[in-house]
Amino acid sequence: MGEAPALTEQQRGELRQLGHVDILIGIPSFDNARTIGHVVRAVQAGLAKYFPAERSAVLNSDGGSRDGTPDVVRSASIDNYRTILAAHPLLPVHRIVTPYHGIPGKGSALRTVFAAARAVGARACAVVDADLRSITPEWVDLLITPVLEDGYDFVAPLYHRHKFDGTITNSIVYPVTRALYGKRVRQPIGGDFGFSARLADHYLSQDVWNTDVARFGIDIWMTTTAITGGFGICQSFLGAKIHDVKDPGVDLSAMLVQVVGSVFALMEGNEQLWRSVVDTEPVPTFGLEYAVGLEPLQVNVDRMIGVFRNAAQELAPVWERVLHPEAFRQVQALAPLPPAVFRYPTELWVRTVYDVAAAFHKRTLNRPHLLRALTPLYLGRTASFVLETADASGEDVETTIEGLCRGFEAMKPYLVDRWDSNKGGGL
Amino acid sequence: MSGSFSEKLMRALDTFFEAVMQFLPGLLAALLIFAMGLVFAWLLRVIVRRILVVARFDRFCDSWGASQILGQADVRTTPSALAGASLFWIVLLSFVMAGLSALEVGVISQLITQFFLYLPRLFAALLILLAGFLLANFLSRAALLAAVNAHVPSPRGISLVVKLLIAILSFAMALEQLQIAKSIVLAAFIITFGAVMLGLAIAFGVGGKDVARQILERQLKQREETRRDDELSHL
Repeated sequence: MGEAPALTEQQRGELRQLGHVDILIGIPSFDNARTIGHVVRAVQAGLAKYFPAERSAVLNSDGGSRDGTPDVVRSASIDNYRTILAAHPLLPVHRIVTPYHGIPGKGSALRTVFAAARAVGARACAVVDADLRSITPEWVDLLITPVLEDGYDFVAPLYHRHKFDGTITNSIVYPVTRALYGKRVRQPIGGDFGFSARLADHYLSQDVWNTDVARFGIDIWMTTTAITGGFGICQSFLGAKIHDVKDPGVDLSAMLVQVVGSVFALMEGNEQLWRSVVDTEPVPTFGLEYAVGLEPLQVNVDRMIGVFRNAAQELAPVWERVLHPEAFRQVQALAPLPPAVFRYPTELWVRTVYDVAAAFHKRTLNRPHLLRALTPLYLGRTASFVLETADASGEDVETTIEGLCRGFEAMKPYLVDRWDSNKGGGL
Repeated sequence: MSGSFSEKLMRALDTFFEAVMQFLPGLLAALLIFAMGLVFAWLLRVIVRRILVVARFDRFCDSWGASQILGQADVRTTPSALAGASLFWIVLLSFVMAGLSALEVGVISQLITQFFLYLPRLFAALLILLAGFLLANFLSRAALLAAVNAHVPSPRGISLVVKLLIAILSFAMALEQLQIAKSIVLAAFIITFGAVMLGLAIAFGVGGKDVARQILERQLKQREETRRDDELSHL
């Protein structure tokens, strides 16, 4: 099936009318009427405050919202901000509200942003999520300036989050991406990124817009593609990330299928590269890091251990096909442990993730099934992490995560062995 | 008298030799067709097996659980080898039938015609069974994983029910395709399927009313507790 063009003729015409733009900020949206007004105002204020001499535009790429999201964007005004701005913008900030075309998903929305960036000749771009509650005008500066003034191609976000927040990122996505590709990008799926025109062009040239990247997985794809393409990468400290919770009962295993599936799928295409990476290096960080007051979180550890324990009994034949025999034995040995002493060791977790990655590659199981079978293991590890760091400070937790990352790096030869082995079970 | 005996003998021998001479080319043709079939079936088995190995058919069967089913049925060969062997026997059998028809024996010809007319039904039935078992395995595992992750009680029971229902359905469809006791199979299936469903409905809705309420309450309460207690953002 041929790929649909990223922009329609009508959209091209509108962008031609707009003319050249220096900075383009994209906001992908779908039913975000509650929050997008604040996001648009913050972005406009940021552009006015930090880039008053640049021609800039905000592009809302909407996926057919039914709650009036585009109307909110059109009516959002920064008039109220004038009192807090040091100077009025010399140039107006243009607003474009447009539906995206192609497969429904954030990836298609961002493709429209990339294509628009190319059409208007933008020098620097950023994308921010439409459900943000904590975005401030400074985010625009922090995501754009490293591109405009320091020549970086990709700016990843760095947030302060609660020590128990972002557990998929902390226990799988960050350590695996770092160990695979050698760059310590702390929030590879943050969702808010800055990028250069060169990188936007590179993204557009990739043949992925009819795949799952267009539906979900665009965040990790952008980060990984920037790293594997050899682009200049940095990260900016944005402060706290608080976003609108749309559906608190969202299925965790579906989330794992999408996010971890995207990470593993990217391993297939970049095999040569990640095999050759033997060390990791930090990436430059912009912005002043400061402690952010965060609300305490309720975590139901007993339930997590309950799911893990039940799965150890019910999913044993499935796990046995995926895990190395020794890892399987150790996982089974964890099941009877009471919560007080329940610990999922770091080394065992690394083996678990690498075993699942290898099984994903070898198609030992149907892939969505495989990732759903990972869910109870992930819950076991998360419960262990919560118990282990119950009294730890944010800094201590970062040290624990750093230890986990080093574990993933040290055991990379194990991944290669498992990847190359013919059988699903043993090495 | 002796003249007539020798004449009769000669006539009988002539008739026999004539019959043999008429039959021999057919037999030779049948043997030749059989030999060709043997070679062709063997070649086809080798080629198909190679293609399936290259196409990673065994891995595909592993991921869909077909290999597991074969293992449970004590079939120790790989799916690609099994597919090759099945094709070998089907092709060989077809050639044998074609060879037999070369003998031009009335009854055999009739049987062969019936065999070839029945062959598509046999294929369709085999395909239905294969697809049914694959689907049963796939959906039962999906049900098991969903039930375990949702912390639903008796996940293995749910998975087994899903597997059984699909297996029964595909088996009934295959028998219907083969036209074996068509009306009996259909009636048996409707009765069995209806009885199972009605039984479950009565057991859950009437007999196990209190248990059903407890399960539903526990599920709803658990979901509520999960929402309240788990404020963790995984991403």
